[in-house]
Amino acid sequence: MPSPDHRATSGETWRWLIEKELRELAASRSYWLLLLVVGALVGHAFVTSVNLYAEASGIAGGPSALAQGLNPLEGIVVPTFGAYDLAATLLFPFVVIRLAASDKETGALALMLQSPASLWTSIVAKGVALLLAWLVAGLAGLAALLLWRGMGGHLFAPETWTVILGHVLRGFLTIGIAAAAGALAASAASAAIIALTVTLGTWALDYVAAARGGAIASVASYTPSAALRVFEHGELRAATVLVLLALGAGGLAIASVWLEQGRATSSRVARAAAIMVVVAVTCALSARIRASRDVSEDRRNSFPPADEATLRAIDSPLRVVVYLSAEDPRLTDLERGVLAKLRRVMPSVEVVYAAQSRSGLFERPNEHYGEVYYELGGHRAMLRSTTEPIVLETLYQLAGRQPPTAAATVPYPGYPLAARPTIAPWLFFVVWPVALVVSWWLITRPKISRLRAFGES
Amino acid sequence: MASPLPAAHDEPPAQSGPSAAILVDNLSKRFGQFWALRGAGFSIRPGEILGLIGPNGSGKTTLFECLAGVSPATLGTVTRGGVTIEPSRRKDLLYFVPDGVRPWPDQTVGWVLRFIAGLHGSPAESVGEALDALALEPLRGARLRELSKGEHRRVLLAIGLLTPTPVLMLDEPFDGLDLRQTRDVMHVLRSTASRGRTLFLSIHQLGDAARICDRFVLLSGGRVAGEGTLGELRAKAGLPGADLEEAFLALT
Repeated sequence: MPSPDHRATSGETWRWLIEKELRELAASRSYWLLLLVVGALVGHAFVTSVNLYAEASGIAGGPSALAQGLNPLEGIVVPTFGAYDLAATLLFPFVVIRLAASDKETGALALMLQSPASLWTSIVAKGVALLLAWLVAGLAGLAALLLWRGMGGHLFAPETWTVILGHVLRGFLTIGIAAAAGALAASAASAAIIALTVTLGTWALDYVAAARGGAIASVASYTPSAALRVFEHGELRAATVLVLLALGAGGLAIASVWLEQGRATSSRVARAAAIMVVVAVTCALSARIRASRDVSEDRRNSFPPADEATLRAIDSPLRVVVYLSAEDPRLTDLERGVLAKLRRVMPSVEVVYAAQSRSGLFERPNEHYGEVYYELGGHRAMLRSTTEPIVLETLYQLAGRQPPTAAATVPYPGYPLAARPTIAPWLFFVVWPVALVVSWWLITRPKISRLRAFGES
Repeated sequence: MASPLPAAHDEPPAQSGPSAAILVDNLSKRFGQFWALRGAGFSIRPGEILGLIGPNGSGKTTLFECLAGVSPATLGTVTRGGVTIEPSRRKDLLYFVPDGVRPWPDQTVGWVLRFIAGLHGSPAESVGEALDALALEPLRGARLRELSKGEHRRVLLAIGLLTPTPVLMLDEPFDGLDLRQTRDVMHVLRSTASRGRTLFLSIHQLGDAARICDRFVLLSGGRVAGEGTLGELRAKAGLPGADLEEAFLALT
């Protein structure tokens, strides 16, 4: 019989906890349903996008698009993996809640609270198992990419892996939010309502930010959808990665402190509030980090290298005052084509969104509407254009520098592919579901019949 | 596994060994305006089988939860050898198996017991011993959700036996067991105590309690109404020759 002198090593503890969570996941119908639906969603997205790509490449005999416009990142990778955004929003939270809340609902939590492993260790083990489960769900997307390559399609590894990283972090964020909801709520149903409320809240934030801009837009740039767009755009931005990690880890930490039922409620509230403050401060500090890398093959997030070198050498802070409302498409162009790139390369860029009016049909804009002011080194210039070369030329004039000589660069060639996805429908709509059903039955079937049990006793 | 019923004990086992008694003092728990426990105080002596006796709603489960540190007590201390054991460190000393929990219903009996043993650093062979002792070997491959109430009760007991803490607290360990199983489980518990592990059992049936326990803590309305051996309780109640039921009724 056991002795108090025996202790599991840290490695053994982790192994047992992660094995437990993986076994619980394998027994979870919600996870199997997630895998089934993800296969169908990925399959549908992949087949649709490959067909569209083939038509744009001229397979139907019609006019084909310019080769430079045929980009597998936008045409295949992003839409195919878009299925995971849907899954992370509407399906994966229930898998997480089931795992996070089951110990509480079955009473196993009382046993786990008394185990040598800390509750934080147990919650992290759940997080690790759920992340592994999310990666397993990612096999459908990986299969789609392999099919694409098998068809002769082109993939640029850095931008493809960046999109995958974005979805992994998106899954981690879901794990954190849903785990906290599962811990805080009295039942799994209530936890699901909390998780969906958070999702709806981020959607509302996106909507308001699109209409108002300013500080709200800065916060909204870290909602799950907005954060994912950074990765889908071929940009690896340190701030986005750190904020998603902080939010996910914060959710797990809140779940951990809230499930410590041996502590008084007031103590748990105080600890959860402290975690929220730490997470908020971490996010605020992370958002100030400007490190970013353009991993897209067509360098869509960058100015030409010569311009970037010149801009980096400008020490003076740049202040941009924009008189464009958030819903004005010119602001979108300016943000993507100029401001985002300037933030990546210049040491100090401050953008002020000064428009007071909207560009609605029945509103009269103020007299400065449409103007963009650039202030650099004590000089000021106004532009109405939002195009990259004109803005750069203005900045060089303000800084008193000569525009760099355009170096010869290899233009993005584009990768047309006129091929139909013949294997994909079979893989995603026949092989994938059949394999899942067989695996589910093998894993969850009754291990022993009652008659056999009594016969042996 | 069948064995003669253990005899009732009127005297506590000899106090020996390095371990000191655990002293519970003024343990209280309030839910809103309702005090579920009011100043409970008693001792748990090393190697004994201590019975927690009380009617439904008397606070037995609450007392166990507070003692184990899985629910916060409003007041009270737990000390051992003069040292206060904070709630967060109680798991080094006490392990509580609650009544009515259905943990990990989708896992097999064998895996759950291996998991508990592995997590607590107990030797792998102890799983086989627990399965044999509680006649669970034929159910090793069954999932917990497939078990009857009595089978599930024995799995919970096995979980408790596989933990290494000096004190094991079991909430209603005989609930759901038939006569033969109750007798067999009593034998297992007595055997466990004889190897030095302290058992603290919440028992609803006074007859069962009288057969297995060395001493008793009588709980009524959240207060400790009496503590001691059957002989001491008889003396306190002024009823020489009374059984546990009569002493309990007289003292509560």
